[in-house]
Amino acid sequence: MATKTKERPLALETEPNSQSGNGTAPLSPEILKRLYSYMLKCRTVEEKARTLFKQGRYSGNYYPAVGQEATTVGTTIDLEEADYIAPSHRDFSSHILKGTPLKFLYAQLYARKTSPDQGRSSPAHCGYAPLNVITPSSTIAAQLNIGTGIAHAYKMQKKPNIVMALSGDGSTSLGFWHEALNFAGVYKLPIVYIVQNNLWAESVSLKQQTAVEDLSIKAQAYGFPGITVDGNDVVAVYRVTREAIHRARTGGGPTLIECKTYRWYGHSMIDPGTYRSPEEIEYWKSKDPIPFMERYLAKHNLWSDSWKEELLQQFNKEIDEAVEFAEKSPYAEPEECLDHVYSFSIRERELNRKIWTSSATTPANK
Amino acid sequence: MALSTYIDAINTALTEEMRRDERVYIIGEDVGVMGGAFKATKGLLEEFGPERVIDSPLAEGIIVSSSIGAAMVGMRPVPEIQFSDFITPAMDALTQQAAKLRYRSAGTQTCPITLRVCYGGGVSGGLYHSQTNTTWFIHEPGLIVLAPSTPYDAKGLLKAAIRDDNPVIYFEHKKLYRSIKEEIPEDDFVVPIGKAIVRREGKDVTAVSYGYTMQLTLQAAEKMQEKGVSVEVIDLRTLSPIDKDSFLESVAETSRLVIVQEDHRTLGIGSEISAIVAEEAFDCLDAPIARVTAPDVPAIPFAAPLEKFYMPSVEKIMSAIERTVGY
Repeated sequence: MATKTKERPLALETEPNSQSGNGTAPLSPEILKRLYSYMLKCRTVEEKARTLFKQGRYSGNYYPAVGQEATTVGTTIDLEEADYIAPSHRDFSSHILKGTPLKFLYAQLYARKTSPDQGRSSPAHCGYAPLNVITPSSTIAAQLNIGTGIAHAYKMQKKPNIVMALSGDGSTSLGFWHEALNFAGVYKLPIVYIVQNNLWAESVSLKQQTAVEDLSIKAQAYGFPGITVDGNDVVAVYRVTREAIHRARTGGGPTLIECKTYRWYGHSMIDPGTYRSPEEIEYWKSKDPIPFMERYLAKHNLWSDSWKEELLQQFNKEIDEAVEFAEKSPYAEPEECLDHVYSFSIRERELNRKIWTSSATTPANK
Repeated sequence: MALSTYIDAINTALTEEMRRDERVYIIGEDVGVMGGAFKATKGLLEEFGPERVIDSPLAEGIIVSSSIGAAMVGMRPVPEIQFSDFITPAMDALTQQAAKLRYRSAGTQTCPITLRVCYGGGVSGGLYHSQTNTTWFIHEPGLIVLAPSTPYDAKGLLKAAIRDDNPVIYFEHKKLYRSIKEEIPEDDFVVPIGKAIVRREGKDVTAVSYGYTMQLTLQAAEKMQEKGVSVEVIDLRTLSPIDKDSFLESVAETSRLVIVQEDHRTLGIGSEISAIVAEEAFDCLDAPIARVTAPDVPAIPFAAPLEKFYMPSVEKIMSAIERTVGY
């Protein structure tokens, strides 16, 4: 049942044909350019987030996915509005693809009242209800289980929507991950599971995580297709994912896609990532998906340096406005700590406690 | 009115809510073809079909977490944990996800699930079919925790839970399933969440309990009446958020308090009730607060003499009341 594709460095060279969900379909120039421009936008937004943190302009932490843009963009671009994204802590930039306004994303980093969670969760643990992005927790893989339930509901409701469930290589060691995939297989749910295999779960290498070479083989245990793809080749990722989305949307059930990629930086802003060799980092930087795509576009006469400059100018303007919005936004009032616990308010209970005195008049009491 | 057992009241509530609202569905182990380990869901598969009465894989984590996801997009799931002893694989789903989703999304994402959990001892169930672990969930703001003690409340609270917009854990005691009967209305009714009830009025001492031990407490109160002690009995019904006014008002009248819980002693609901009374009604007390609880051992032992030693009993409750009143 499970199929496997070795890394496909030539995927970009195959000629696109249609967008019917066929993985070998051709891609229009417009799509190719959009894939590139979104990768560039994700990179720009994330590098800005890193810079702002290093400048001490927001606190907490950030979990950059720089280097993984081909996977982020190829899997989450062009979802329907009602489709859900189930993100992990490193999938901040998947919001950009879903359409969450940048100003809300930076407000999230700054933990302001204007952020989607009004300053409750840590930076980067960001959901967005209006566009169906689950607000993630930090317990690894939990978003997959919730996402699987959403897919179950979509099936019960006979809706044509799907769930794009994102996780990392480390998550595949957890029982949650397997319960989710098993359940989705049993009920043939409309969900696509993406494992962003960046070789490291914080400081633990893939070899310490699993005895298998390709994580996609795990789909075999759950009765649906699993495929491994070069996660730095945005066209390959896009093609494979479109086919899986098409299958999910048309009742064909789930797919597991392993995208082999790499995070350039440490697990978080406070992790220098010194457990990795400089040679390994350099190797993966040489496989940077962005210049790779630039060369591909140039080969197809879809590239100009001035277009990139235009894009960067546009992104930087948008980012500057978003950062300004975040920095000018207020924090929530302290007492808002007490809100959104239940559908009813607990403020009165917490803030005003009545002291009772006895109404009995027994001698012992008086 | 119809004479109903506790388990029939649960079955009726599920049936009525599934007829009323097509978003309601049941998922759990053996809930369909078998109709539940105790037959709480008997006949539902036949009436509502396999898409709404779902025999799930044997995996409590995904039973609960898939329900959370489904509830986020408009469903009203009623998952079941067959024995509360088996709830641990769902702890992340309950404590980190269900309890915190509304909070961490500033109210923009919510999960109105009703998790039915069969709990409790006194049935020779042994270590892993008898536990009362209500305390774990009382400690999680964001969750509502219910524990009915009568058929009327079993029906009314379950219907209220399914209609409620918060995640609810509904603890149903297996020893109550067929041991008590009550005339309950055949019409639609709900019991308000968050409200305790005075089961028996009295003036000498307040006794607070819930679930199965509520029934023991009422029996103890009846026997104490014969000895000339008037016991006011309060049934919490909702364990979290707790209706503290119910027992504070009562203690302000009686000046004495006994708490009866099936869960073991340390940091159980009795600890919280004691703390609330000590903080907010210190002047009212004429005697030390007494707790009747299971001992601090890991779980209920199986052998009959050991189980009997473990469980609260009418005699133990009477003894605590006498001690308090005689102080």
